Amino acid sequence: MTPEVERMERLAERLRTVEPFIPPPGAKIRGWNLVLAAVEQSTAARVRVHPVRRLVIGAAAAAVLLLAGAGAASADSLPDSPLYPLKGVLENARGVLAFSATDRLAYHLDLARIRLTEAETMIARHRVDLAGASLKALDDQLSSAALVVQSERHADPAAAARLQERLRQAVTTDDQQLADLQGQARTPAAASAIVEARARAADALKLTQEPSASPTASPGGRPSPSRSNGQASPTSTP
Amino acid sequence: MREPGKAASDDDRPLIERVRKGDQDALRTLYERYFDRIYNYVYARLGRAEDAEDLAIDTMTKSLTRLDLFHDQGGAFSSWVYRIAHNATIDHYRRHGKVALVSLERAPVPESADPSELAVEQLSNEDLHAAIRDLTDEQQQVLILRFFQDLTAAQAAAVMGKTVGAVQALQHRALGSLERALQGRAAN
Repeated sequence: MTPEVERMERLAERLRTVEPFIPPPGAKIRGWNLVLAAVEQSTAARVRVHPVRRLVIGAAAAAVLLLAGAGAASADSLPDSPLYPLKGVLENARGVLAFSATDRLAYHLDLARIRLTEAETMIARHRVDLAGASLKALDDQLSSAALVVQSERHADPAAAARLQERLRQAVTTDDQQLADLQGQARTPAAASAIVEARARAADALKLTQEPSASPTASPGGRPSPSRSNGQASPTSTP
Repeated sequence: MREPGKAASDDDRPLIERVRKGDQDALRTLYERYFDRIYNYVYARLGRAEDAEDLAIDTMTKSLTRLDLFHDQGGAFSSWVYRIAHNATIDHYRRHGKVALVSLERAPVPESADPSELAVEQLSNEDLHAAIRDLTDEQQQVLILRFFQDLTAAQAAAVMGKTVGAVQALQHRALGSLERALQGRAAN
């Protein structure tokens, strides 16, 4: 082997040991939300509609144009936006269409991720009150997801195990992001809200591990998050 | 540590079929399988976390929403995703300009520099990344695909639209250019 080839080999070996760049959990979650939304939009656009129905749909579309415009504008709205309540209406409508346990779980986990992103933004804007509400709403969604797993356990234990694993992964990812957020919190109130949120998320996961546990009380005796708190998020649990 | 060789998994085909039928779990699996790799690829090319995040998301959105354009005729899905990421990177350069696009194959090396004295084991990751970004577009691409993404020469050839022999020759030239770039940096 010539000295030049040896040098190239050593350099190649050194390159192989370079640690990869790891994306922040928030980036991955944001990306997934955007990909999911784009795929759903793309699928809807490809659905072929009968010509007669097109007229009816066209008329209906014209009638709801203003609402749709407002709805689209609200889709990315944040808790400090006047359009935020409309976002909740649209989210609830989406929840009505989640029939299977898999769809319901995906629905709650998606909303949990959205609430987490909102909380992150509110903390960045020093709106600790709204961040706290978003974090409570995040935990409400995780608790609802846990209930989906629990109810599925009676109907189909194998499917429930798969759902539980998805929930566990989601809670783990959320907890990592909350830990990052906790490190960035500048006020004790914000840090405290995040600590509580992490504890409630862990409780939600425990709920799925104990089939006999009451859905109204967490294993540790801590009251489960109120799922009727309409102010915590734009979405009330369906 | 890196996960070697998973980028061009044959397991993608059943997943792609399920995604085409609307299976969201399969969609999530494909997303999870590629997001980190694409982020890492784009980050190595651009050197900025914010841009890497945007371009990785853009690449995954394009890949997973336009599966109808991916014709599974022997070509790997991974090659298609990497090509989309590469095109997104080139578009980014066009929009924002590239800091350095000078080939270092003929770059002057300081007279005092002795290639055998370059202690590659002591180079920091930052030095290596910065020096790679001084290379030409194709040289960057081949080094990142082969050594950061752990693609085989055949897989890199599929991504780059070249023969295996051409990729191996390009890789050799790229390593030489990288060595010169590192020597230049060390001398400065």
